[in-house]
Amino acid sequence: MKLIFNYNQSNTKHTPQEKDVDLPDDLKRKDLPLNDVNEVQIIRHYTRLSRKNYGIDTNFYPLGSCTMKYNPRINEDIARLPGFSNLHPFMPASHAQGALEVIWELEEILKEITGMDAFSLQPAAGSQSELLGVMIAKKYFTEKNENRPKIIIPDSAHGTNPATAAMCKFQTVTIPTDERGNMDINEFKKAIGKDVAVVMITNPNTLGLYEENLSEIKDIAKENGALMYCDGANMNALLGISKPADQGFDMIHLNLHKTFSTPHGGGGPGGGSLGVKSFLEDYLPVPRIKKENEKFIFESNNKKSVGKLHSFYGNFGIIVRALAYIKSWGTDIQMISQIAVLNANYLFCLLKDDFDVPYDRRCAHEFVISAKNLGDKSAVNIAKRITDYGFHAPTIYFPLIVKEALMIEPTETESKNTLDEYAKVLKTIIKEIHDEPELVKNAPHTTPGRLDEVKAARQLNLRWVPSES
Amino acid sequence: MNFIPHTEEDISKMLTVVGCSTLDALVSEFKPRLSELKLDEPKNEMDLLSYMTKLSEKNSTMKYFAGGGSYDHYIPSIIGHLVLRGEFLTSYTPYQPEASQGVLQVLYEFQTFICMLTGMDVSNASLYDGASALAEAALLSSAHTKRKGVFVEEGLNPNYFKVLQTYCDGTELYITNSIDENTACVISQTPDFNGNIKNPRGLIEKAHQHKALFINCISDATSLVILKTPGEFGADIVVGEGQSFGIPKSFGGPYLGYIAVKEFLTKKLPGRIVGMTTDDKGNEGFVLTLQAREQFIRRERATSNITTNQTLLALTATIYLASLGKSGLQNVARASYHRAHTLQEKLKKVGFELVNTNPFYNEFLVKTPKPTEKIIADLMECNILGGIDVGDNKLLISCTEKNSLQDIDSYISTVST
Repeated sequence: MKLIFNYNQSNTKHTPQEKDVDLPDDLKRKDLPLNDVNEVQIIRHYTRLSRKNYGIDTNFYPLGSCTMKYNPRINEDIARLPGFSNLHPFMPASHAQGALEVIWELEEILKEITGMDAFSLQPAAGSQSELLGVMIAKKYFTEKNENRPKIIIPDSAHGTNPATAAMCKFQTVTIPTDERGNMDINEFKKAIGKDVAVVMITNPNTLGLYEENLSEIKDIAKENGALMYCDGANMNALLGISKPADQGFDMIHLNLHKTFSTPHGGGGPGGGSLGVKSFLEDYLPVPRIKKENEKFIFESNNKKSVGKLHSFYGNFGIIVRALAYIKSWGTDIQMISQIAVLNANYLFCLLKDDFDVPYDRRCAHEFVISAKNLGDKSAVNIAKRITDYGFHAPTIYFPLIVKEALMIEPTETESKNTLDEYAKVLKTIIKEIHDEPELVKNAPHTTPGRLDEVKAARQLNLRWVPSES
Repeated sequence: MNFIPHTEEDISKMLTVVGCSTLDALVSEFKPRLSELKLDEPKNEMDLLSYMTKLSEKNSTMKYFAGGGSYDHYIPSIIGHLVLRGEFLTSYTPYQPEASQGVLQVLYEFQTFICMLTGMDVSNASLYDGASALAEAALLSSAHTKRKGVFVEEGLNPNYFKVLQTYCDGTELYITNSIDENTACVISQTPDFNGNIKNPRGLIEKAHQHKALFINCISDATSLVILKTPGEFGADIVVGEGQSFGIPKSFGGPYLGYIAVKEFLTKKLPGRIVGMTTDDKGNEGFVLTLQAREQFIRRERATSNITTNQTLLALTATIYLASLGKSGLQNVARASYHRAHTLQEKLKKVGFELVNTNPFYNEFLVKTPKPTEKIIADLMECNILGGIDVGDNKLLISCTEKNSLQDIDSYISTVST
């Protein structure tokens, strides 16, 4: 295993040489334990590492719940235009009108797509958007003098939902899922009351199913004075088809990097956003961006705001990419969701006779099947074996309520041919499980082999340490 | 534009398999259906580039003498080339380690770089930005000490203070003026917002006397190269903004938060952590580890709600640190220091009052002889962003290796007329 720290070469000299600084001894660093590595070696080292990595550019990457669609390269060029990438965040608004317009324009478009009345693009990611939403709910009810310590969350929800509720000292009330894959309406009715602040729902939910009782849930939540929050992680199913505000939600967060196709970058940077109905607008973070007399301005003097959430104005580079992506689609945007739903249902139909199907309904943009009939640990074994065939695994063991879950989200950018091939590989693996079980249990047979996660957690090695020679 | 590869024939074949007559019928249960969507006509690539370029040209890019949490350091060319490799760019959180060894090794190297720069034991694989990293550190302290008071020493970046306040309000912590048995953490920034470098030893002792954790928030990350490490001073947690390490200013984001701790806090860290392990043949490899802390497993008992981090920017920083290497980083830090000191001396000669009471690195505060607004406006006429107006006729000025002596002379000649 060659790490970048194992080289010691001559320096490439990217910047001029300088003499030492004159700082008092008690403040000055004595030793910097780093080496010099020449650029020739750097480029080989990281090119070699890139080849040990699998991306959408490599092949199909149907990681459920992550919306791994093709990332248009023009958006990378656009984000790197000097007027965007070389713009300092302390540039006065008068000289950053283009940047303010980008943010304002994307907010307007997201309002149109979701039906919400106002948006903030400050959150850096989906989970920070959720945090903002829950903080807003907390402040809203505190100001109304209502004691509502609970947040209702279905058991199929992403882990961030309860984690966020807990951060803000709310108590999570978990509602089980019924046999059709919906939040159990009877259990919901038992749990709802004047002590509930928020009903937090992902729609379509993490099983890839449209919440069939949403209208009734919304009515009951409103009767009880609770806010309806939509985790919009699955907005890729709804673009141009249905607006979450019309479904009865008061708040929604969108993950810009998922729905609007900014590269996931190995796990970020992403981009968050939070849309709200007008009665919650004043709680959004400052500064807000407003348009006045054809000029864009920052507005910071909002007393009701929960405050500031980001070092500056949000992940601007991601906002630029999302705007470019939406502008490229324009009025055709519903095609994205229609084909995403078609692809998911098509692949589901190709696979549903081979796997256990926990909820046999038409799915939205993703679906969950179970490998429980193929034996213990079969989901992880299948995931590892898929790698041998040059494909990426689906999300496994999520949602937690489905045993040996495989969660597959093809997205709209995959061709029929790719889906056919993926289904064929999965069927082959099932045959292997029956005929040659060891072959699957010991997968992958590529390099590296199956990595020992238990050892990693027990014998922590989280950094390289220079040897004492 | 269109990124859907399907032909009409594909769609009709697929609809047959699904048992649905039209694409519209396929989504019939999604209710209520919207009636219309007011968006522009679709744009082809050429028109899109032209539209977005026009927007970008409504912004002014200048010679920067402004910092305040975003620093204009030189970005080596190699970074852009490597970061755009599709295997890095288009991958996701390495849940399947066998398909993600590249990104996992990069993050392990990133964690090592952060530990070596800060003098700390353990780093995670990044957080959103400097401000939220600080807020997460306060939450970590509260979870560790079971206390709710957050003490902030004077001189914290006001933007960071605001974000910290927001997190405290939402999570039922409070900012306190005293260090006592209710204090979870003591926060101090180095160099502070005005540029002062203070020896934190006394404050650390006081924090530890009261069993509070000491959080050192670092301003320009390149300062770590020449300043005594927070680890050596005795900090428990170090957080900061990694934007200085090769990340474009990009109007404030996306940036790179980092957090590093002493070993006893490892299991309380938020976010992703990469560890080295072996595969079934005994070869070394990397995985995401200590996942039992995380939201997707622990749900409401997680150490934080964080899901994504900033991997591509951690990659950027790693390549930056590797490319510059020891001597390159020292040159960057020394140049930033010398340029700032040169400018400060010259400003003094033309009537600016020096405000800093301590040694400074590359950022300093002056009182302007004319209204600060006027100074900034004059400099902008010469395509220079001269600093940050912090009120009270004070200007916060920052330099990097990119500010040439010639630029410094134009700065001086503009403000002295």
